[in-house]
Amino acid sequence: MSTATNHPRWTRQLAGLVRKDLRLELRTKETVVAMVLFAVITLTIMQFGFGTRDDDLTRFTGGLMWVTLAFTAVLGVGRSYVAEREQRVLDGLLVSPIPRVVLLAAKAIAIVIYMAIVEVVVIPLVGIFFVKGPYWDSIGWIALVALLANVCIALSGTLFSGLALFTRARDLILPVLFLPALVPVVIAAAGATHAVAAGANDMADYRGYCLFLVAYAILFLLVCVATYDAVFDD
Amino acid sequence: MPSSTTEKTRSGRVPGARAALIWGVIAAVLVTVSTIGVFLVAPEDADQGVIQRIFYFHVAIALVSLVAFAVACVAGIFLLRTRSARWDDVGDVAIRLGLLFSVLVVITGSIWAKASWGTWWVWSDPRLVTYLIVVLIYAAYFVLRSSVDDDRRMRYAAIYAIAGFASVPLSFYSVRVANSFVHPVVFTGSGAAMPGSMLIWFVVSLAAMLALFIALLEVELIGRRAERALRRVALALENT
Amino acid sequence: MPDLLVSARGVVHAYGDRRAVSAVDLDVAAGERVAIAGPNGAGKSTLLRMVATLLRPRAGSLTVMGEELPKGARRARMGIGYLAHDPLAYLDLSPRQNLQLYADLYGVPDAADRIEELLDRVDLIARAEDPVRVLSRGMNQRLALARMLLHQPQLLLLDEPHASLDASGTALLDAELGAARADGRGAVIVTHEVERIAQVADRLVVMRAGRVVADEPVAGRGPAEIRARYEQVIA
Repeated sequence: MSTATNHPRWTRQLAGLVRKDLRLELRTKETVVAMVLFAVITLTIMQFGFGTRDDDLTRFTGGLMWVTLAFTAVLGVGRSYVAEREQRVLDGLLVSPIPRVVLLAAKAIAIVIYMAIVEVVVIPLVGIFFVKGPYWDSIGWIALVALLANVCIALSGTLFSGLALFTRARDLILPVLFLPALVPVVIAAAGATHAVAAGANDMADYRGYCLFLVAYAILFLLVCVATYDAVFDD
Repeated sequence: MPSSTTEKTRSGRVPGARAALIWGVIAAVLVTVSTIGVFLVAPEDADQGVIQRIFYFHVAIALVSLVAFAVACVAGIFLLRTRSARWDDVGDVAIRLGLLFSVLVVITGSIWAKASWGTWWVWSDPRLVTYLIVVLIYAAYFVLRSSVDDDRRMRYAAIYAIAGFASVPLSFYSVRVANSFVHPVVFTGSGAAMPGSMLIWFVVSLAAMLALFIALLEVELIGRRAERALRRVALALENT
Repeated sequence: MPDLLVSARGVVHAYGDRRAVSAVDLDVAAGERVAIAGPNGAGKSTLLRMVATLLRPRAGSLTVMGEELPKGARRARMGIGYLAHDPLAYLDLSPRQNLQLYADLYGVPDAADRIEELLDRVDLIARAEDPVRVLSRGMNQRLALARMLLHQPQLLLLDEPHASLDASGTALLDAELGAARADGRGAVIVTHEVERIAQVADRLVVMRAGRVVADEPVAGRGPAEIRARYEQVIA
């Protein structure tokens, strides 16, 4: 017998964990449905919070979209480890030979998927609700921003949700930790959306913001890889 | 003399006391010199008048607060490697001081904004906005600390100090790309764009604030070490 | 294969200032089953969690499966099967789906066959597709047994295994522990039920207030004798 050889492949571990999260979500539908509803409600509140019914909010398109998505992300990220914590399964994962960063990657992939589902609703809805002017031509560009921003949100969100997991008042702690780190993502994603929505077509700005999102993702990936072992290392 | 020997052993026993004393003296001297220099010697700014003198402190504490956060980040890395509580003390104290300095940056920046533009807050000033975000990031550090205990607190705080320090340049840059530069840009990429007489006093102010930070850090760490030693003694007594 | 599956020297764990385990030595040889008994709060579970790589020793040295912890934790985990108070199963997945997940995490070859074999052994074939949430406590614990054995670990770590097992689960576990001795695997069993020790263990370790106060073989001693010895040690 040798314990050093035939180490499980991390790809199989990752696939297994992601499959498990998606199966749980499909069975309970707890997270995604709540996220979508929350996002739609927030968009509605935005309209009235910003002024009267007739005000044209076209120039706030990016902001409306990304403030909504940022808060929705907090909601989704907060659910990240709920099954593990409430059903007390975490020890089972931790005694198994998974690199902790694979655990993080699995949770991050789930968040990217959940956010993408929310955005499939939110991005068209923003166009219908708020934009008076061309919007649908640039929907591909907006989708690309969303994809990049989702990766950023998932990486920092998973790190902070791991930190909040065993804190007292964790539901309060997570937004306090997570939202300040999300400010740059909101600034860049809203800026990029603004650059292409409503016929602005400022591709230089757009590219700059997207590159910034890539830089954010890389930096947080490095932080996650460097620190995630220690999150669960009691 | 019995009294002098006890005095001696006592001072000899406090680790870091000498360093704290030396840095304290250096800080006191530099702060005095820089205050005199900034208000009495440095030339008056042609456009902004006397209020421009706040610049020396505003920028100096801004830079020193970044140093403090960098110290906390490095302490965090060492904590995760060694799991030694003294790195937790260093990180905690450094962020405490860094946060204090950042709040002062926001306050002095706000005063400067009032004097220059007539309002207490301008969202188009990247430094002011960045430091507001920085204050929020590091205020959350203490919320996190207060909601976990013991070993987890040290580890989580260390991880957050590292992640927070990654957020600082990201906030800094994102605010900057989102804004046109309204703030007087005193530094350019190649170096300082201010007259030499101002630069000298700026450097002195910077050194003064840095020395002040180190002195406060040392003093606070002596307290932490003493606390830990005391707890060890109490625990040992309990166990006997 | 290492001669000692577990070798602890002066191992310490503390929750803040409160010491749960102080300076414990513990050896588990291949083919040896060690029972750890002691009153509540003696540090038994904490010690077991350290051996299971779930807690870091604060001091001392701990080697599990020939790997020095915490550095070699990931390699050691391949050889560890851990049975906790909780079944460590997702309530909204079926037993089969839970085992599939763990098979992926451990890289179990021919997973489908192995899972089928285990479900059969723990008598859960009929309930393999139901969500774990609707299974009885005894079935949950049998599922946990299957999960522990899935990757054929060399070292079994069991925390109060008899507390929630039903009769068939208990028989299964006892048979497994008997086989473990025969084929050179090892086990650490944390237990309250001192009477059972004669049947499932080769050595008795008694802990009190974070320390080991007795460490002796149980061979040839009956339940009553062991109970008497235990009472004497913890008094």
